[in-house]
Amino acid sequence: MHGWTGNILRINLTNRTHKVDHFDEEFARKWVGGRGFALKILWDELKPGIDPLGPENKLIVTVGPIAGIPAPNTGKTVVAAKSPLTGGYGDGNLGTRVTEQMRKAGYDIIIIEGKADSPVYLYIEDDRVEYLAADEIWGKGTYDTHDWLYKKYGKGAGVLSIGQGGENLNLYSMVRSLEGRAGGRPGIGAVMGSKKLKAIVIKGSKPIPVADPEGMRKLGLEDLRKVGEIDKKTGWSIQGTTGVLAWCNEVAALPVHNMRKTHHPEAWKIDGERLNNARVATYGCPNCTMRCGITILDHEGHESELDYENIGMLGSNLDIFELDQVASLNYLCDDYGLDTISAGAVLAFYADAIEQGAIKGDFKFGDAEMAKKLLGLAARREGEVGNLLADGSLRMARKIGHNSEAYAMQVKGLEISAYNCKFIPGMALAFGTSPIGAHHKESWVITFELKQTRRDSYGPEKAAKVIELQRIRGGLFEFIVACRFPWIELGWQLEHYAEYFNKITGLNWTLDDFWKVADRIYALMKFFWVREFPFWDRTRDYPPMVWFDPKNADTEGPIAGKYLELDKYNQLLDYYYEQRGWDKRGIPTRKTAEALDLKQEADEVEKFTKLE
Amino acid sequence: MSTLDIKITIKLIGPFVNQLGFSEKTMSFPDGVTVETVLSSLPLDPKRPKIVTRNGQAVASGERLSHGDRLAISPLYSGG
Repeated sequence: MHGWTGNILRINLTNRTHKVDHFDEEFARKWVGGRGFALKILWDELKPGIDPLGPENKLIVTVGPIAGIPAPNTGKTVVAAKSPLTGGYGDGNLGTRVTEQMRKAGYDIIIIEGKADSPVYLYIEDDRVEYLAADEIWGKGTYDTHDWLYKKYGKGAGVLSIGQGGENLNLYSMVRSLEGRAGGRPGIGAVMGSKKLKAIVIKGSKPIPVADPEGMRKLGLEDLRKVGEIDKKTGWSIQGTTGVLAWCNEVAALPVHNMRKTHHPEAWKIDGERLNNARVATYGCPNCTMRCGITILDHEGHESELDYENIGMLGSNLDIFELDQVASLNYLCDDYGLDTISAGAVLAFYADAIEQGAIKGDFKFGDAEMAKKLLGLAARREGEVGNLLADGSLRMARKIGHNSEAYAMQVKGLEISAYNCKFIPGMALAFGTSPIGAHHKESWVITFELKQTRRDSYGPEKAAKVIELQRIRGGLFEFIVACRFPWIELGWQLEHYAEYFNKITGLNWTLDDFWKVADRIYALMKFFWVREFPFWDRTRDYPPMVWFDPKNADTEGPIAGKYLELDKYNQLLDYYYEQRGWDKRGIPTRKTAEALDLKQEADEVEKFTKLE
Repeated sequence: MSTLDIKITIKLIGPFVNQLGFSEKTMSFPDGVTVETVLSSLPLDPKRPKIVTRNGQAVASGERLSHGDRLAISPLYSGG
């Protein structure tokens, strides 16, 4: 078997023991890596109904066959667990040196079980695993934690850590790596914190098993150079992802005022042009030649690296149009280890609920200083407000009541990223059907929707496009584990990834083989949710009700008077389910499951609900 | 400027700002000008995929513009 080591490092923090398990080629071919591996292991090994923050949950760190190999944007690792935020399957990917070091240490998968009796961090070097006291870094932010670990182990080590958010079980806390970014929006940092695990440090020295090492090395390095050239030619990195902000503002898709508004006259103050002008450094993940992170100085003078999601959710969605203040909020989220998207959505929901009179509080839209204080309270779970904010917008709404759930901007408990779909049905469907809760990473159809379809259409072509993108973005890139940016932003063709995969594994796969794996993973992710929530119905694939409310329609601008229509959205969902071979509840049928080699999994889910 | 000219505001997005050297500009065009004509008057790579919106709505290249229209020209972003 080439491309995979077949090794699973299984660590038990309760007993401070570890062993190496193995997977075979059939498992590798069926699930490939990353999200596929994590999902299948969590499905097989977790009992339904377990407490996501209890010792029974398992934290999975995993890579894919392409991960860590020098080739375009292969520095990504997947972290996964049962989500404490949503109660369903949760994962995320992040750029990190862990990717390469983990592969060199000889592992495709690390499973972390149990719970330490006191704060620890793990040091993994090839076959050696050490359980070390984290007393000196527990309580510290991710910047200080990483610095402390780099001083001890050198800058070449791969490090994953949590901040105070994860330690205090904030439900939208992330896993962070200063060598790249953060991942695990559905509270994977809280799972790590619940295990009293502050950090993982990895170093490896073994060769990564590649079927054609010389061919892959030449091809990968050449393609890295080509991607860098395309980036320079197109100028994409000048604004990186933040060019999207001005566009969203033009087309009425910007999150403003808890997504009650879609554009704002002051949006230019926080757009990609202003960001590029304020740039003090450029930041990228390992194996990347199209570095998208733009670093500026925040209000307090820290270096803070921003992208579109951060600015949309911590800026315009909170009516904060001072770039240095947005950068401050972003810096705090990074240091506390909080998801910037959910943090922005939670604060906006809180301000909105206060404005609506549903709850009393001192926070108003536009108040950056109070937002900073609230982030600290949420990260540390300080007081009543800190505990309220730390639980995410859906739980907040259920505590607050007064029909506030209608404007808690989330799906399945995960907050919606920075695209306001008040009148973008296809993108609303993408959020609704995203398999970890609302996330843009699975499918982003706005440009297709606006350029190639009628904005007000709810036709099957939109469902087809959502599925096509889910196969690529939520499938391929999440299981081979590579960054999707060369493809989505620079047009780097998908066939390149099949070529890398085949050179690494020695197989002869086509893109169609990838799509079958992607569909299998999407079906099993849905089964995971259904097993946790057996009375599953399609309303769980609905976006927030406020988008269907005529009273919430814009009163001016490009989409004045427009809103999503629920009966038409249901039709769109039907198209989506039909094309996927899922039933009217949104559950894969037995026939679909068996065609995807999921008979055993279908038998298991039928213990909880009858399949059609 | 002829009395028959109309004014169109051009808003550039992302790297187009650096390529053309301006972010937003109001320019005069003959009455009845189409989106395609406006685009071809700008030194943009015609082969590069773009999305063009008129007053916030996607617009076809043959569509005629009106006085006071806002035309936003963006590369095809794919959403991070």
